Amino acid sequence: MKLLSKKYDCTMLLVAAFFGMLLTGCMKWDYGLVEEFHETSKGLFITNEGNFQYGNATLSFYNPDTKEIENEVFYRANGMKLGDVAQSMVIRNGIGWVVVNNSHVVFAIDINTFKEVGRITNFTSPRYIHFLSDEKAYVTQIWDNRIFIVNPKEYKITGYIECPNMTMESGSTEQMVQYGKYVYVNCWSYQNRILKIDTETDQVVDELEVGIQPTSLVMDCNNKLWTVTDGGYEGSPYGHEAPSLYRIDAETFTIEKRFKFEFGDWPSEVQLNGTKDKIYWLNDDVWEMDVTADRVPDEPFLPYDNTLYYGLTVCPQTGDVYIADAIDYVQQGMVYRYSKNRELLDSFYVGIIPGAFCWK
Amino acid sequence: MKRLIIGLLLLMPGLLPAQRLARGLRIPEVTIYGKRPMKDIGVQKTKMDSVALKENIALSMADVLTFNSSIFVKSYGRATLSTVAFRGTSPSHTQVTWNGMRINNPMLGMTDFSMIPSYFIDDASLLHGTSSVNETGGGLGGAVKLSTQPADADGFGLQYIQGIGSFKTFDEFLRLTYGDDHWQTSTRVVYSSSPNDYTYRNHDKKENIYDEYMNIVDQYYPKEKNKSGAFKDLHVLQEIYYNTRKGDRFGMNAWFIQSNRELPMLTTDYGNENDFENRQRELTFRGILSWDHLHENWKIAAKGGYIHTQMKYDYKRDAGNGVMTSMTRSRSKVNTFYGQAEGEYYIGRKWLFTANAAVHQHFVESRDKNIIRQDGNKAIVGYSKGRTELSGAASAKWQPTERIGMSLVLREEMYGESWTPLIPAFFIDGILSKKGNVMIKTSVSRNYRFPTLNDLYFLPGGNPDLKRESGWTYDVGASFAIGKENVYSLSGSINWFDSHVKDWILWLPTTKGFFSPRNIKDVHAYGVELESDFTVALKKDLQLTLNGTMSWTPSINEGEPMTPADRSVGKQLPYVPEWSSTITGRIAWKRWSLLYKWCYYSERFTMSSNDISLTGKLPPYFMNNLTIEKGITTKWAELSLKGAINNLFDEEYLSVLSRPMPGINFEFFVSITPKFSK
Repeated sequence: MKLLSKKYDCTMLLVAAFFGMLLTGCMKWDYGLVEEFHETSKGLFITNEGNFQYGNATLSFYNPDTKEIENEVFYRANGMKLGDVAQSMVIRNGIGWVVVNNSHVVFAIDINTFKEVGRITNFTSPRYIHFLSDEKAYVTQIWDNRIFIVNPKEYKITGYIECPNMTMESGSTEQMVQYGKYVYVNCWSYQNRILKIDTETDQVVDELEVGIQPTSLVMDCNNKLWTVTDGGYEGSPYGHEAPSLYRIDAETFTIEKRFKFEFGDWPSEVQLNGTKDKIYWLNDDVWEMDVTADRVPDEPFLPYDNTLYYGLTVCPQTGDVYIADAIDYVQQGMVYRYSKNRELLDSFYVGIIPGAFCWK
Repeated sequence: MKRLIIGLLLLMPGLLPAQRLARGLRIPEVTIYGKRPMKDIGVQKTKMDSVALKENIALSMADVLTFNSSIFVKSYGRATLSTVAFRGTSPSHTQVTWNGMRINNPMLGMTDFSMIPSYFIDDASLLHGTSSVNETGGGLGGAVKLSTQPADADGFGLQYIQGIGSFKTFDEFLRLTYGDDHWQTSTRVVYSSSPNDYTYRNHDKKENIYDEYMNIVDQYYPKEKNKSGAFKDLHVLQEIYYNTRKGDRFGMNAWFIQSNRELPMLTTDYGNENDFENRQRELTFRGILSWDHLHENWKIAAKGGYIHTQMKYDYKRDAGNGVMTSMTRSRSKVNTFYGQAEGEYYIGRKWLFTANAAVHQHFVESRDKNIIRQDGNKAIVGYSKGRTELSGAASAKWQPTERIGMSLVLREEMYGESWTPLIPAFFIDGILSKKGNVMIKTSVSRNYRFPTLNDLYFLPGGNPDLKRESGWTYDVGASFAIGKENVYSLSGSINWFDSHVKDWILWLPTTKGFFSPRNIKDVHAYGVELESDFTVALKKDLQLTLNGTMSWTPSINEGEPMTPADRSVGKQLPYVPEWSSTITGRIAWKRWSLLYKWCYYSERFTMSSNDISLTGKLPPYFMNNLTIEKGITTKWAELSLKGAINNLFDEEYLSVLSRPMPGINFEFFVSITPKFSK
C-alpha cells in the first residue's frame, strides 16, 4: 500500500483533533450538598408552587425580626427537590407538613432544621392537610372524590371519606376548618358546596350550597365560617356568576350573610388576623373587613398597584400583612410586607409562584 | 435556458433522480457547488443531508434536527413530545409543511417532531426567518419543509430493516416499491415499541430508611426506572405517482399514524406507578393529492389534502378497587381540509414570477373535562370551533446579471375573519467572487402569527381578545464553496439575523387556578448562525465528511415590566439556549462507515429573570453518538449491519426540568434489500 500523503496526514490530524474535542465534553452536576440550619426563631414559611410539570417548587423561610429570607431551604437542607407544585403547609408540634400537589406527597420537616423527618406518599392530587390528632389527619384532593385519612405518626394512608355528588374527575375538596367534632371543607373546582364531616365517623353528614367555586375557608373568633367564591368563568358549563363572600354560622351551618361582588371580579384568599376578628382577601386590591361588618368597606386596605397578587397572609402577632406577587410566574416572586397601618416594611424575593404561607 | 431548466427541475423534485434507499454502503461522488436556482435567491436555507435522514429507522425528525442543525430541539424525553424552535422563538413560531400542506396542530400551533419518523422524509429543508415567507406565513422563527419523493424504482423493490435495542426497543421498517416509466409506488411502514424503562440515578429525590419508630436513619438517591414511558408507534405511508412524461405528474401521499404513548412520571413524583396511568393516544391521517403541469417556461400545480387527528389523553388512578378510574379524560378531534394552487412563469433567464394560494379549513372539537353541573346533569368542558385560514403570495424574482439576484414576495393571510396587512419580504444576493463561489445574501420581511384555536377558545382560559403577534426580521449572510471534483469540497456560510416580535403570546396562571394566554412580551432575537460542510476523498474508497453548525441566539425580553418587581426585562428567554452547536463526522471506507455525532447546548435558564437556582438548573450538555455500519453484497440481496451507541459517555442530562434522559444505550439494525430480477 502506498504511504499516506502529506495531505492525508493533515486531514487525519484534523480528524484526531475533532474527536479529541468531542471526548472532552462532559456535564457538571453538583448533587448531594446539604446545609445545616438552626432557625429556632419565629418566622414565616412560604410555599412556592413552581411551574406545573417542572418540579421546581421550593420552600422559603422569612425571619420578620431580622428581615432575612432564606430560599430553597428544603433543597438546601435535604439535597433533594421539594417537588411539583407545593400547595400548602401547616405546622403541628414542631413538624411542618408540606403538601406537594403534583408529586403526590406530603413531606414532614423539622421546622428548625428544615430536614425531612418523614413523608406520606401516593395521594391522588393533595391540596391541604388538617390535623385531628397526632395520629389522624385529613388530606383533601383535587381529581378525586375522596378525602384521604392518614396516620401522620406512621406516615400512612389509613382510609378515605367518600364525598357525595362528585366523580373522580369532578372531585375537588380544599381547605378545612374544625368546629367541635365537625370539619368543614370547601369544594372548589366545578363545585359550589361546603361539606360537613363528622370526625368520629369520617362521614359527610351535611352540605351547604354557596355560589360557584368557593376558593377558601376560615373560621373567625365568633365561630363563623368565611368563604369566597370566584364565580366560575365565561363559557363554563357549570355557570358563570358574580362572585360572593359568605359568612356562615358553623353551629347551624347556614348562610348568615352574603357580600356580592361585581360580575367579573376575581376575589380569592380569604385570611384572618391573629385575633380572628378581621378578614382579609384579594380582589385586585387587598381588602380588610371586620368580621361583624354588614358591608364591604368603600376603600381597599391596599389599592391595586399594577400587581396581580397571588397569595396573602396576616402575621398573627403583629398584624402585618404579607402579599405575594407572582410577577410573570416564571421568575422568583416577590413578597411585600405591610404594617397594619399600611406602611411598606419590607419586600423580598422568594421562589416561583409564591402561593401559600405558614406561620411558625 | 440551462439555468431555466435547472430551476424548473429543482421546482419539481419528483422529476429529479430520487434519493435511493440505502442498499448497503455507497460512497457518493464528491460534487462541486453549483449555481443557485432563481427560486432560492437570497434564501437562507439548510437542506438536511439525505444520509442523515436515513441514518437509522429509530430516529425521528427531532433526533435528526438535534444533531444536524442549529435549531433548538426541546425534548421531554425519549419518544416524548419534542418541539423545535428557530432563533430563540417558540415552537409555535416554527411552521411545518409536509408536501406543501401545513401540519402544525391548529389547536396548539406547534408540531411534535418525535412523531415524524425520519425514514418517512426524503427531503427536509429549514427556511430560516425571513426565508419562510416564501413558503408560508406565521413562521416568525422559520419553517421546516418536509417532503417525500418518488422512489425512482425500476421494477419491484423491497427493503426490510429490523432494529433491536436497549430497553427492549424494537424498530421495524418495511418498504415496498414498484416503478416503471410512468408509475412509481411506495409503501413504507415503521413500527416502534419499547417499555422505555431506562434506568437513571434520581438526584431530585431521596429514599428514606426508617427505624422501627419511623425515624429516618439514612437517605440515598435511588436508582430508578423511567416510569410510565412505554410507547407503541405505527406509521404507514403510501405514495403513488404517475408521470405522463408529457409534462404532467400526479401524486397521492397518504400517511397514517397510530401512536400509544405513556407520559413518563416526573423525577419528583412519589405516586406508585402501578396506581396511575398517564397515557396519550393519537390517530392521525394525512392525505394529499397533487398535480403538476410543467412546460418549458411555466408551471402550474394544484393540491388537495385532508388531515384527521384524534388525540386521547387519559390520566387515571386505581381508586383502591383495582379499577383504573379517570381523573382527566381529554379528547380532541381535528379535521383539516387543504387546497393549494400555484403557478410559476419564467421570462427569459432574468425573470421568474410565482404565485400561490392555499386554504386550510379546520374543524376542531375539544372535550377536556367531564363535570356534574349544578342541576345534577353531566356536562363536558370544551369547545367546538372552525376556522378558515387563507394564505396567498406572489413573488417576482429578477436576475439582471449572473452575479446579482433580487426577489420580492408579497403575502397576505386571513385567519377567521381577520386579515393581516400585506406581508412583504425582500431578498437580494450577489456573487462577490466566482472563484470560491463567494456569495452574500440579505433579506428583510414582516410577518404575523395568529393565535391558535386553544389560545382563543380553550376552556377555561381561552382569550378571544388576543391580538396576532407581529415581527420584523432582517438577515445578512455570506457563503462560499470550493472544491475539486472527486477530491474534496468545502462550503460554509455565516448569517446574522435580527428580529423583533411584538405581542408575544404567553399562557400565564390566573388567580382562578387556570392558565390564560395574554399578549405579553416584546422580544428581540438576534444572533449568528454558522454552517460548514467538508468532504474529502482521502484515497480510493476512503472518504471523510464533516458537517458543523453553530448558532448564537440571544433572545431578549424587551417588553414592559409586568409588575414593579419584574426582573425579566432585558434577559434571555427561559429554555432558549444562547449557544448551540453540532458536529457530524463520517468516515466511509469501502463498505464500512463510521459516524460520529456530537451536539452541544449551552445552559438554559428556567426563569425569565435568568436567575440560576439550585432547583432550576439546566447545565450545558454535550451529547455523543456513534454508529458503525457494514454493507454486504450477496447475489440475492444487499445487506447492511449497523450498530449505534447513543449517549456514548453515559451523560446524565436533561433537556427539560424533571425529565431524565436515557444514559448510554445501544441499538443494532439489520437491513435486507433483495435483488429482484426485472
